[in-house]
Amino acid sequence: MRAYFLRRFLLIPPTLLGLTLVVFFITRFAPGGPLEQALMRAQQSSLEHSSSRASGQGTALSEDQIAQLKHYYGFDRPWYVAYVQWLGKVAQGDLGTSFRYNEPVWDLIRERFPISAFFGLTTLVLTYSVCIPLGILKAIRHRTWVDTGSSLLIFAGYAVPGYVLGALLLVFGAARMRWFPMGGFVSGNFADLTAGGKVTDLLHHAVLPLCCYLIGGFAFTTLLMKNQLMDVLAADYMRTAVAKGVSYRRAVIGHALRNAIIPLATDFGQNLTLFLTGSFLIENIFDIDGFGLLGYNSTLDRDYPVVMGVLLLSSLLLLVGNLISDALVALADPRIRFG
Amino acid sequence: MASLRFRLNPQTQRRLNRFRGIRRGYLSFLVLAALALLSVFGEVLVNSRALVVRYQGRYYFPTYGAFHPGSDFGEGYSYETNYRHLGQRLAKEGSGDWVLMPPVPFNAYENDFRPGVYPPTAPSAAERHYLGTDTTGRDILARLFYGFRIALIFAAFYIGFVYGLGIAVGCAMGFFGGKVDLLGQRLVEIWSNLPFLYIVIIVASLVRPDLTLLVIITGLFSWTGMTYYMRTATYREKARDYVAAAEVLGASTSRIIFRHILPNTLSMLVTFVPFTLAAAISSLTALDFLGFGLPVPTPSWGELLHQGTANLDAPWIVSSVFVSIVLVLSLVTFVGEAIREAFDPKRFTTYE
Repeated sequence: MRAYFLRRFLLIPPTLLGLTLVVFFITRFAPGGPLEQALMRAQQSSLEHSSSRASGQGTALSEDQIAQLKHYYGFDRPWYVAYVQWLGKVAQGDLGTSFRYNEPVWDLIRERFPISAFFGLTTLVLTYSVCIPLGILKAIRHRTWVDTGSSLLIFAGYAVPGYVLGALLLVFGAARMRWFPMGGFVSGNFADLTAGGKVTDLLHHAVLPLCCYLIGGFAFTTLLMKNQLMDVLAADYMRTAVAKGVSYRRAVIGHALRNAIIPLATDFGQNLTLFLTGSFLIENIFDIDGFGLLGYNSTLDRDYPVVMGVLLLSSLLLLVGNLISDALVALADPRIRFG
Repeated sequence: MASLRFRLNPQTQRRLNRFRGIRRGYLSFLVLAALALLSVFGEVLVNSRALVVRYQGRYYFPTYGAFHPGSDFGEGYSYETNYRHLGQRLAKEGSGDWVLMPPVPFNAYENDFRPGVYPPTAPSAAERHYLGTDTTGRDILARLFYGFRIALIFAAFYIGFVYGLGIAVGCAMGFFGGKVDLLGQRLVEIWSNLPFLYIVIIVASLVRPDLTLLVIITGLFSWTGMTYYMRTATYREKARDYVAAAEVLGASTSRIIFRHILPNTLSMLVTFVPFTLAAAISSLTALDFLGFGLPVPTPSWGELLHQGTANLDAPWIVSSVFVSIVLVLSLVTFVGEAIREAFDPKRFTTYE
């Protein structure tokens, strides 16, 4: 078992290397990159310049200036050299400087990460604390009105993408009814509020996005819990337990639940990372300046150092999340042997 | 021949019967099939061209037929006839001529500008804009309807692409095992972690993506999930005695794969189709919402959703898209659950 986890752990770096290499390669050869954007900007400003002064300047930038720009954006070296240099810096904990914000990438990420993590962890806690009991209830009361009624809601919830619900909530809950703020993580005057006011303000802003985060995983987890528990309830050892006089309650909690919860553990790691890195679609709708939106905007802006930094961190989280899932499965079910 | 045998297979027959027995799923399937069928003949239901025109004793059927310039019906212009105006004029003249319009007399592209009316306009049965108009005066119902049709076409190609690639790679990994499997899994892991959106944005900045290109890009980043199931299923089937028997009899590798292993994994593959369909519709909607989907005038749910979030005074836009998405995706999910249950019925026990 230890050998398996060690091997999985050792496989993380090569996967990360492969991923970053592919994306780095693309950033070098995709048109419309930061260098071209800078050249275009320079050309435009020189056009305006020359038209106002009416003095003809041949080219926008001298060879020297272009070389300087190339050096600034790191395009003056072959891509593999630049990649190795990037790797060397990362090894020293330096993710580079954002082209757009002119700030260290690490600072940008560190600022936004807690915002996404706040939503992610809240979602995770709420999902598991409601879905597990609800799933158990639905399994025990299979095909009664409790089950059928909640199923309809759950299926509809399963079918709605979070950001689509977000659009609806934004228009009705925020813009029309003015029950909730239109977006953002906290109000502009957050720093001036009292401690109680801060909490209220935060929660007030968080309600609508949280609904969107909750809706997808909620249905999935409840159904998984229910189906697994129903499988286990049909198992022979459950029948034996009930037959020999163990109370139903104890049979479910003591015998069935532990086995039924294993597949939920498989998902836990993926859920954790999914939520930690945030959904850029939901952050986009509610204008929350989180990690997901940072990744999306950096891609739009071709802010390559940020793109690489976000990619590195989110893939690392994903791979670690998978590993955590496996560890949890092993904890929940000692029979499972990974090989 | 293979399909005939498949149809006569008693197990398949039993599954079909079980599927029909699951009321919610079967009903959803019928509704979805009806919607798909309606969208095929969409021009008859939602169109700016008239179904029938009676003009000076002659009958015209412009729906699928040739383009009629306005001058054909005595209008003073040579561009395509505006059948809604023509109908009003003929009715006023009272000469016994008439125009029969489809139930929704607008197509998805025309801007219905009327003097003194500034789009978006709220739903109105009198104007026959049953769900209102969008920011440029296009009928929302028409755009939803044709957007649905395009999403279905997209989904059909997408499913074919994802299944083709996923089955081929997964089956190869499972069948050949060993180094192929190990290397394949690493590559699949890297591939599935690539930032899909990033590639889409770059491609969208290079060329305006059309339907084919969009299917290829989204498909290229969605087939990896299929390989895991296919790989395991192939491993399982390959270990069975009948494969060993076929090998001993001298069957070639391709014969074993195509005649023995693939038909036996078919039932597993079928259960994933509805979920792939739902994934196709949601990813197309998300891409259109972000503005990286189909080129601009194409009717699309994502584009409407984006308009809705940008025009907070026109709540009918968001509501119509929301209801459509929830309706279609719920139907697809119900069908998916029913198929899964029909193919793999759960034993369940109740105590007490």
